[in-house]
Amino acid sequence: MTRFLGDDWLLPALDAKNHAWFTSGSLSLQTCVRCAVAQFPPEDACRACGSFELGTRASPGRGRVESVAVVHHAVHPLLRRSVPYAVALVALDDAPHVRLLGNVLNRAHDQVAIGDRVRVVFEEVSDPESGETLRIPQWEVAT
Amino acid sequence: MQGRAVVAGIGESAYFERGKSPLTEFQLALTAIRAACADAGLEPAELDGFVSYMDQRNDPLRLSAALGVRSLSWTSQPWGGGGNNMAAAVQLADAAVSAGYARHVVAFRALAQGQFGRFGQSRMEGRRSGGDFAYEHLYGLLSPAQECALHTKRFMHDHGISQEALAEIALAAYANAQRNPRAIRHGQPLTRDEYHASRWIVEPFHLYDCCPENDGAAAVVVTTPERARDLAARPVAIVAAAQGLGPTYGISGFQGDWFPGVFYRDVAAKLWQRAGCTPADVDVLQLYENFTGPVLMALCEMGFAAPGEVEGFVRRGLAGPDAALPFNTSGGNLGEAYIHGFELVNEAVRQVRGTSTCQVTRKRVERSLAVAGPGYAAGSAVLFGPA
Repeated sequence: MTRFLGDDWLLPALDAKNHAWFTSGSLSLQTCVRCAVAQFPPEDACRACGSFELGTRASPGRGRVESVAVVHHAVHPLLRRSVPYAVALVALDDAPHVRLLGNVLNRAHDQVAIGDRVRVVFEEVSDPESGETLRIPQWEVAT
Repeated sequence: MQGRAVVAGIGESAYFERGKSPLTEFQLALTAIRAACADAGLEPAELDGFVSYMDQRNDPLRLSAALGVRSLSWTSQPWGGGGNNMAAAVQLADAAVSAGYARHVVAFRALAQGQFGRFGQSRMEGRRSGGDFAYEHLYGLLSPAQECALHTKRFMHDHGISQEALAEIALAAYANAQRNPRAIRHGQPLTRDEYHASRWIVEPFHLYDCCPENDGAAAVVVTTPERARDLAARPVAIVAAAQGLGPTYGISGFQGDWFPGVFYRDVAAKLWQRAGCTPADVDVLQLYENFTGPVLMALCEMGFAAPGEVEGFVRRGLAGPDAALPFNTSGGNLGEAYIHGFELVNEAVRQVRGTSTCQVTRKRVERSLAVAGPGYAAGSAVLFGPA
């Protein structure tokens, strides 16, 4: 099994706004061409200056755990095999106002703590419909 | 200018555990609306406006036909989220009546989740997740309980808040439900030991930190003070109402300066300015408990306590009619019924009328506040008082 929640767990429905995020193998942060502010989730306009000229930049993908929820009750049948599991909220060092969710792959559910330093890693999975390789951002405690 | 309308009648269906209503959802809606009209002494045919929220399935066209409405003048719903709009629905009714666009507007919520999808169960279908939800669902974050847990965990961490603070919210709701024969948890008291022994749903929420799912409907009739004089029930004033959201964006409030939080700072600023009073002036509070943690954050953002003091605030007592701040006196979402908060609107009106099963006794209630669902935007609140 290569994915934290199982190889048959949900895949992203790719679109123009999230394609780079889920395929590029880097944290491809949407960034305003005019004012250089990064934003997440991506939007059709810059939330800082209103510009429609938006590009992306690769974040180094280092951050800190801001919060963690340990899930015990599976709200989807496919998650029954995974509970308990932890979902972490991570603030990026290079864009602290951006907070990303993920699982911490190298820690047990009860070993993820607020303040932990983490770095991004990617789960690779082949999209069964398009054949494209998806690279889904996840986290590891940086040792 | 602000609204000047009054509540002329309140009504509800019987409340049921999820899936146990013998009536269809539409019949529940009609039952609550007819009960509110009967309470007001108004013929349902005289209703001319409908307001609801959360993408209400029972639309005004069907309702008007079934109620014999002669002339429909106003329909509206606020956008977004869920129970955060329960007070905004009352505000919209107030706005319609105060502006003269309609004369008798009913605001209501009806749900029978056993007959449709379960709200908040899991917002995904099939094997793909798109839009902003993709950034949550791929990691197993699928439900409001889980989203609110991330906010609550950080809030507790930052301010040294213990599990006992969450317990106080649940215990108060259950204690008050024991006084209320309408309450689904009537006859099912909850002890502190049972609270702590209950299973985790998502840390820091035990089973009893999470509101149940219920079937039922609740409604209020809103009209002008002049018209209310000719009706049967003593009117209750909508003193002030507010819907609000400061600058925020993104999924579940995780981005920017609003984490951890529940989107009520902006509602509070508007509400207290319009009402001309402060939290200290509130006689009784109904506050939507989707989960106990967001209640603590909402108490802080509405101005009842500072984050560092909120545990002491709730430990001083919330249960019963003589609590320091009587809270969710009908049992609330946790104990009475989860009608997406609209049962709290009816209870806030009852406290002004003096007809609650947990009636504040130490003084006549002059300021009865109902705060809608915390954690989802935009938030809303409505303050009731004597007309």
